[in-house]
Amino acid sequence: MKKKLPRVDLKELKKLKEDNFRERLEFIDKYVEWLKKTPNKEWSSQQKELID
Amino acid sequence: MEFDYTKDKIVIRDKVISALDKFALDFTKSLSKYANYVIVSGYVAILFGRNRNSEDIDVFVERIDFDRFKRFWIEISKNFECINTRDVKAAYWEYLSSGISLRFSKKKTFIPNIELKFPKMELDYWSLSERKKVLLDDHQLFIAPLELQIPFKLYLGSEKDIEDAKHIYGVFKDKLNLVLLHDFNRKFKTLDLFNRYLK
Repeated sequence: MKKKLPRVDLKELKKLKEDNFRERLEFIDKYVEWLKKTPNKEWSSQQKELID
Repeated sequence: MEFDYTKDKIVIRDKVISALDKFALDFTKSLSKYANYVIVSGYVAILFGRNRNSEDIDVFVERIDFDRFKRFWIEISKNFECINTRDVKAAYWEYLSSGISLRFSKKKTFIPNIELKFPKMELDYWSLSERKKVLLDDHQLFIAPLELQIPFKLYLGSEKDIEDAKHIYGVFKDKLNLVLLHDFNRKFKTLDLFNRYLK
């Protein structure tokens, strides 16, 4: 028997995508604010951990 | 983030060097013995603290002749390998000189890699001639002017590119030449994107 697939609301998904992007941009503002007042050793250690 | 910013250079002290930084520094240290180069990619945002990784680092190298390229090839082959070809003549003539990028990675790896290309557009030559030095303690790198990088990223227009642009602008907005930045915004027709996402 064929499984019933969920309804896909593209309008809703588009809004979700836009909201996600807007939230990520807001996060960048906050992150940059933190970055600017954080010593190089500290932020770059955290970045190294993520990248390595 | 503590840095000194002048017209020609940005100095960042005590940055803990990541594997991606080391990869970029190792490659460009060898390249700089043979030619001027400029880094133009998303790596610039990462260099200045953006928290993401990258598969490749885009580099423009000035147009050098085959003999000089061959000497660079011999040196770089000690630690890196070219993904496209093992043949230096093909690398120079069939790739670089034909407008196709060469990709170099550390031996026996694939990612990250350097995407090395000759400049083609006027914009590429401008990036090279106006490149900015970045000093990380004893290491140095050359990047394209941020006043170009930001609008160019906006022009590319993916969410990742816009986020990179926002990061770079956020970090350096008090230091940038805003006249130049907006001149490029006008050229790339990115003023609306700039006002919508970066301000």
